[in-house]
Amino acid sequence: MSSDVTSAGRVDGEAGAPAGRVDGEAGVSRPASTARARVIGGTLSLFASELLTLFRRRRTWALLGALALIPILIAVAIRIAGDAPSGRGPAFLGQITENGLFVGITAMVVATPLFLPLTIGVVAGDTIAGEASHGTLRYLLIAPAGRIRLLAVKYAATAVFCAAATLTVVVVGTLIGWALFPVGPVTLLSGATVSVGEGLVRFLAIAAYVTVSMLGMSAIGLFLSTLTTVPVGAMAATAILAVVAQIMGALPQLEWLHPWLFTEYWLGFADLLRQPPVWDSFADNALLQAGYLVVFGALAVSRMVTKDVLS
Amino acid sequence: MRAQHGSGASRRLSRWIPAIAAPIAIGVAVVVVPMQASAAVDLPDLTPAELLEFASASEVDALSGTIEQTSELGLPDLSGLTGTMGGGAGGDASSGGFGSGSGQGDSSGDGTARDAASATDLDDLISLATGTHTARVYLDGTNARLQVLDDLAERNVYLTDEGAWIYDSREQAATHVTVDRAALDALKAEASAQAEAHADEARDRLEAEFGTPLPTPEEVLDQALAKLDESTEVSVGTDARIAGREVYELVLEPRDADTLVGEISVSIDGDTGVALAASVTASGASEPAFSVAFTEVTFEAPDASVFAFTPPEGTAVTEHEVPVPTLAELEQRKAEHAAGTGEPSDRMPQPEVIGEGWSTVVVLPMAGAGAGATEGLDPEAAALLGTLTQPVDGGRILQTSLVTVLVTDDGRLLAGAVTAERLLDAAASGR
Repeated sequence: MSSDVTSAGRVDGEAGAPAGRVDGEAGVSRPASTARARVIGGTLSLFASELLTLFRRRRTWALLGALALIPILIAVAIRIAGDAPSGRGPAFLGQITENGLFVGITAMVVATPLFLPLTIGVVAGDTIAGEASHGTLRYLLIAPAGRIRLLAVKYAATAVFCAAATLTVVVVGTLIGWALFPVGPVTLLSGATVSVGEGLVRFLAIAAYVTVSMLGMSAIGLFLSTLTTVPVGAMAATAILAVVAQIMGALPQLEWLHPWLFTEYWLGFADLLRQPPVWDSFADNALLQAGYLVVFGALAVSRMVTKDVLS
Repeated sequence: MRAQHGSGASRRLSRWIPAIAAPIAIGVAVVVVPMQASAAVDLPDLTPAELLEFASASEVDALSGTIEQTSELGLPDLSGLTGTMGGGAGGDASSGGFGSGSGQGDSSGDGTARDAASATDLDDLISLATGTHTARVYLDGTNARLQVLDDLAERNVYLTDEGAWIYDSREQAATHVTVDRAALDALKAEASAQAEAHADEARDRLEAEFGTPLPTPEEVLDQALAKLDESTEVSVGTDARIAGREVYELVLEPRDADTLVGEISVSIDGDTGVALAASVTASGASEPAFSVAFTEVTFEAPDASVFAFTPPEGTAVTEHEVPVPTLAELEQRKAEHAAGTGEPSDRMPQPEVIGEGWSTVVVLPMAGAGAGATEGLDPEAAALLGTLTQPVDGGRILQTSLVTVLVTDDGRLLAGAVTAERLLDAAASGR
């Protein structure tokens, strides 16, 4: 990270007059070790303050609340209306009346295609464009935060939100299921039954899987966010891309493209409910998302360091 | 980009290098990694006969691996219509993923078999014939398990000494197939005793006929190959790599012009002799119409817990005991079949075979024969059949790149790996 500051400092100095003015570090030199400690400490405190800002916002809690409503709605509806006819509705719906723990998984199946990408798109699209629209981006860059470091911190905060969002769905689903339905050993897709404890561990693994699934889209959102000063544009574009990718994934004519879509393995988390669990899709998914992170991360970095920060 | 002077512009451009380099690096990795994986494989050369012998001598009885099956039969892909995201399109309980699809019959004790093929069964058949499926297989000496990995669902077949379990997670239904072991053992003992007695007699007769001792297994294989050579060109293809293992390729090419099959290729592991992949290519096509291959395989016995199955609570369990006939009953049945008698009403309709070799056509009298070939199906299934088949003179025809099926108006079903013309010809002439 130490090079980030110096390079970003130089970058800012050269990136045109307005950016040059906001750079507070150009021309300052100090011993490398102190600089490194300062940078790490600075990055951590920046990350901490970024998280604090994110989770202090009412909007963040509204998004998480909306996600929490999905399992609550499912559980209450089934509690009131009774079992669904077999084979209809989202997967795992029929198992809820037998085992309330499945509320979280059913909610995850429902939330993954649209609600999760929507909420995460809001946060990812807001990262840079939100600061720019508030006019706070240049102040962030005045602080000894290089542009690349700011980008990294913003992305890390988005990743934390991804984890919070998926955990919200799984944890709220499990709790509401526990409250409203009988709970017992978990029947896996293979027909094997595991204890409640192992079932919960698997549900946490699913939350991890879905979190990883969303990282590629977060990188896309981060890049789009560097392109504009209108956060809504970046948010909408991110969510639309997620939907478009899923539509393309449903078209057999585009089969050659499917392995490259960042949505390809989104619903593959069911592989963790097999006995023995199949980890192939987890690995494939992680590799794919890492590819998106590298490509769109690099694009975002290039865009960020060449950007004229006017607000 | 509002750079005022040249050096500034070039520095700005240089900052886009990571953004350009990242996709290029990924692209190169995507191209290079598989190339290295399939880098030239050179196994010791074998003739087709040697390869077959090597494969048949294979003694692998334990493995676990992942299989991928792909079908491109040229059917319209109906998965978007018949399957929905996450949920099954089906309605009622199915008999565990093994749709019969062919109307009435085979309801011997199976509580869930229905009189008419439902749309669910057709869905299962169509889903098998289109798209890609992934499954895991586990084998040890006595047990076997096939685990079909569907989206958000799974179908399993567990085979153990105690019988077979078929479990479908989407339907939450399990079928338990058991065989009366005592009766089976008795049948085996009886049959082998009889076979031994017959074998001595047969060997004496054969030796008298040939005037020489019985041929060795290699000779038998050679003779079989010579016979096969009349209809099929057998050759050894290029060595390749399947699931990270070096394989031989055995290629079968029909000499028959009437058949739709262009080439059958079987990949045989160069180390163990196990078939690791097979594919069928239609004549004139470059890509296989049907292929099944291991993507990953190990030859170690899987953990015993993999084969354990007890139906979970809330599962509809169907018990199905397969009756074991005695040897006498079997012989009687065979005799009846040969004589063309017997009771066709309570058995599957007996198929009739026209032609031989690759252009064999199978004729099946359709249950509920009548003017409407789709009679006896529920409306949804009939509609589905309607979109799949085309009307021709005297019936409806289903044309895929490998198999052609003709349903005639007079209630016969003809199928074969042949062209539509050959099938219509067979329907008209009965030859």
